[in-house]
Amino acid sequence: MKAGLSGRRWLLAAVCCTAVSFSIHAAWMPIKAKVAQQLLERSWQKTLAGDTEAKPWPWADTRAIAVLEIPRLGLREVILEGSSGRNLAFGPTLLNNTQMERTTDRILSGHRDTHFKFLQYLETGDLLRLQTSGDTRDYRVTWLETVDSRRQQLVIEEGLERLTLLTCYPFDSPLAGGPLRWVITALPVERDTG
Amino acid sequence: MPQIKYPDDLYEPPETASIRDLLEQQAWRQNPGLARRLAARVSRRLKSRKTGNRRVMHWKHRTLLSLAVILASLLIIRMEAAIAQEQTGQPIWGLLLHSDSGAYTQLAIDTDVQIDITGLIARVEITQQFSNSGSQWAEGTYRFPLPQGAAVDRMRIRVGERILEGEIQEKETARRVYQQARDNGQTATLVEQQRRNQFETRLANIGPGEAIEVTISYLQNISYSDFSYHLRIPMTFTPRWTPGRQHVDLKPAPKPQLLPASNSNDHALSLRANLASTVEFAAIESRYHDVDIQKSAHGYHIELLDPYAVADRDFELSWTAVQNTAPSASLSTYYDGESVYAQLMLAPPLEEAIVLQAREVILIIDTSGSMEGPSLSQAKAALLHALKSFGPDDRFNLMEFNSETDVLFDRSVPVNHTSLDDARRFIRGLSANGGTNMAPALKIALGLPELEGLMRQVVFITDGAVGNEADVLKMVAGDLGDSRMFTVAIGHAPNSWFMRKVAEIGRGSHVHIAKPDEVKEQMSALWGRIQVPALTDICVDWGGSAEYYPEIIPDLYAGEPLWLIARLDSEPTMIGLCGRFNDRDWDLTVNGWDVASGIPGGDNLAILWARKKIEALEDGLLFGADRELTELEITSLALDHGLLTRHTSMVAVDKTPRRSVDDTLAQSNVRGLLPAGASATLANYPSTATGWQAQLLLSLFVLLLATLMLWFSGSRLPSANLSSWSRPSPL
Repeated sequence: MKAGLSGRRWLLAAVCCTAVSFSIHAAWMPIKAKVAQQLLERSWQKTLAGDTEAKPWPWADTRAIAVLEIPRLGLREVILEGSSGRNLAFGPTLLNNTQMERTTDRILSGHRDTHFKFLQYLETGDLLRLQTSGDTRDYRVTWLETVDSRRQQLVIEEGLERLTLLTCYPFDSPLAGGPLRWVITALPVERDTG
Repeated sequence: MPQIKYPDDLYEPPETASIRDLLEQQAWRQNPGLARRLAARVSRRLKSRKTGNRRVMHWKHRTLLSLAVILASLLIIRMEAAIAQEQTGQPIWGLLLHSDSGAYTQLAIDTDVQIDITGLIARVEITQQFSNSGSQWAEGTYRFPLPQGAAVDRMRIRVGERILEGEIQEKETARRVYQQARDNGQTATLVEQQRRNQFETRLANIGPGEAIEVTISYLQNISYSDFSYHLRIPMTFTPRWTPGRQHVDLKPAPKPQLLPASNSNDHALSLRANLASTVEFAAIESRYHDVDIQKSAHGYHIELLDPYAVADRDFELSWTAVQNTAPSASLSTYYDGESVYAQLMLAPPLEEAIVLQAREVILIIDTSGSMEGPSLSQAKAALLHALKSFGPDDRFNLMEFNSETDVLFDRSVPVNHTSLDDARRFIRGLSANGGTNMAPALKIALGLPELEGLMRQVVFITDGAVGNEADVLKMVAGDLGDSRMFTVAIGHAPNSWFMRKVAEIGRGSHVHIAKPDEVKEQMSALWGRIQVPALTDICVDWGGSAEYYPEIIPDLYAGEPLWLIARLDSEPTMIGLCGRFNDRDWDLTVNGWDVASGIPGGDNLAILWARKKIEALEDGLLFGADRELTELEITSLALDHGLLTRHTSMVAVDKTPRRSVDDTLAQSNVRGLLPAGASATLANYPSTATGWQAQLLLSLFVLLLATLMLWFSGSRLPSANLSSWSRPSPL
């Protein structure tokens, strides 16, 4: 009888340990997101200073290519190159797998529970400032909408001046992998309204 | 109740003891430990059955707990599903009318479809009629489903007496014209095609009882699969009232009045199609409609048989060419008064007529960090599959690249057990890490010593972005030699342009796989295809100066025809073709007099040619062509041929001046202000949630549960243990 008992205690202990490691793993995600942004910020400053090969950490398969600022919310996010799941953990990425300067229709995607959490607070008329190594451009939020990723695809239209921010929806859903996306479209602020 | 033996019984065997009982007693005496354990188990089982004490409570608790867990997870899933249901919904096809009294969808009264098919392209013109059956002035949004890859380039809207006609204009001019018209109180719209499979435009000021007629026209590519050509025109106008977020400002809408298809011939559909061809087709089929097929001077004429047909299902037409034992060619031309546009189709022979050629296949795979996850595992499966597609005389080699390049064999090896085993081990051992440095990999692959008599096929699989496109392309072009390049792009939005260009220069083909779960299937198709090159080293003599596309003519593969489009100075008399077929020189002459010219929809050829030309001009920019000159040239080509490009857009202006100035158009944020570009690409939405909160919550919950259970088991079970052992051990 004793053997069976302690077996079950061991099992419970094992469950406890797994649960602890899972919670650490889960808690690590937002920490990683924050730390990566710090490192990226550093490499971005280097990039601005002229070092085009600056890597945020030595083994990185990505680099900082722009900074998105939201003056109203006082936020600043470093944008990464290459929209892969791995990069999304470090920061919002440019979806058009190319250089920021080469595309006019810029699409940024980020995790709704880390870097792009603030997307839920954006309203039409908000100012977005995108700084690339070449120039700084202001956009104004024009449309907010939800789309179903099972039914629709993104249209990238080169030649169109546009900034799109997208993240998963709903924001407070505890589960990942839902089909809905929150899409914010911003158009450039015209220098003269003629 | 079963006969149970307690430890006491060991001394007093029952009077009617059988041999089995005696044997058991003996065994127990010899092994008291076992006896005790067995007895304890039995007594516990008995106890719980008799008294239903703590033990049962425990089970109840557990059941309750598991129920709670299930309920909680169900709740979460239900929440997600409910939100999804609320927010999704197809756009309503047809005309959505907004007026002061609400909004409702107006379905087309009549639909008329005219299709002209020339080669690999179809011109589709759709005319739909509506009426504003309300008693108030209304604003309308017209939506129409479009097939993949179609762009509306002609549009005419008739609202009452006014006609709005779409015109291709230079972008800035279009915007000015629109603004001017708006300020003058005229009705105007700029065409919008925000989503690739949906045409949408807004109309203002529709009077009560007024009739509206919308004509849109687009070019659509013909798809080819399973040895047949297919054309599908979406026509399901299934209305569903789920406008969601976009129309929150609207008052509750009256339910759309829907007439069942059977008792109305108001929603009639008429459809005519011309299929231009100089060759006979083995079969022509319409999948969902009964049609009448007639042979005409320029090919075939197809018409709907049912005069009471309604637009309630898609129209799909497919046709199959006759296959010969040798490659064949057919030519059609169009003369626009200035130049001749010619389309030459090369049809491959039957697969049985092709002698398999020995190949050298070099597989290159990207193992940079971004390939991690399903992309790499699917690609690995596809590579393993590729090993099975090699013929006995083929040779092969494998390479991976990330920051570094790693080649499996120094030179390509024959297909045998050892080499295949090595390859399999190599593939299974691939893991994703590091950067994407593709130039050295391509250089090494193209620099491997060429093998006499073998056709080299390089298959290049990546998801990566290339920064120095032009340099890499130049390098490939320089080192290519006689190799063929096949490129496979995986992911949301890889640099498809670069990959397509590499394949074009390398006389191969390009595949873009957007979803990782499609990698295996699409790659298998590729392996099968490149196994059977039918006609290689193709050359064409147009009999005069000709500007033709593709500029580098690819090889012809079994089951897939090849199309060339050219602009010539005059009608061709003789066109000479040459190539290598079944390891022998092959040639063919196409007589200019047999040509199908003046075919209906022939102007498609001019548009097709202009599109290719614009593409080539845009490519030239990367190789250092003058930007201003190129843009001028593109704009003039686009205006000549009525094409939407990034330098032109379509504006629709009321041709009839309005009598009074109406202010209903003073709407801000009409989404239609964005012109549709001809260079749009599609991408899938990435997954953008880590779900760390859920994971944290769930694991903390499990932790709590496990700790509780541990605590309970620690305090109570030993006492349960004692109760069954009140007597001292008898032995």
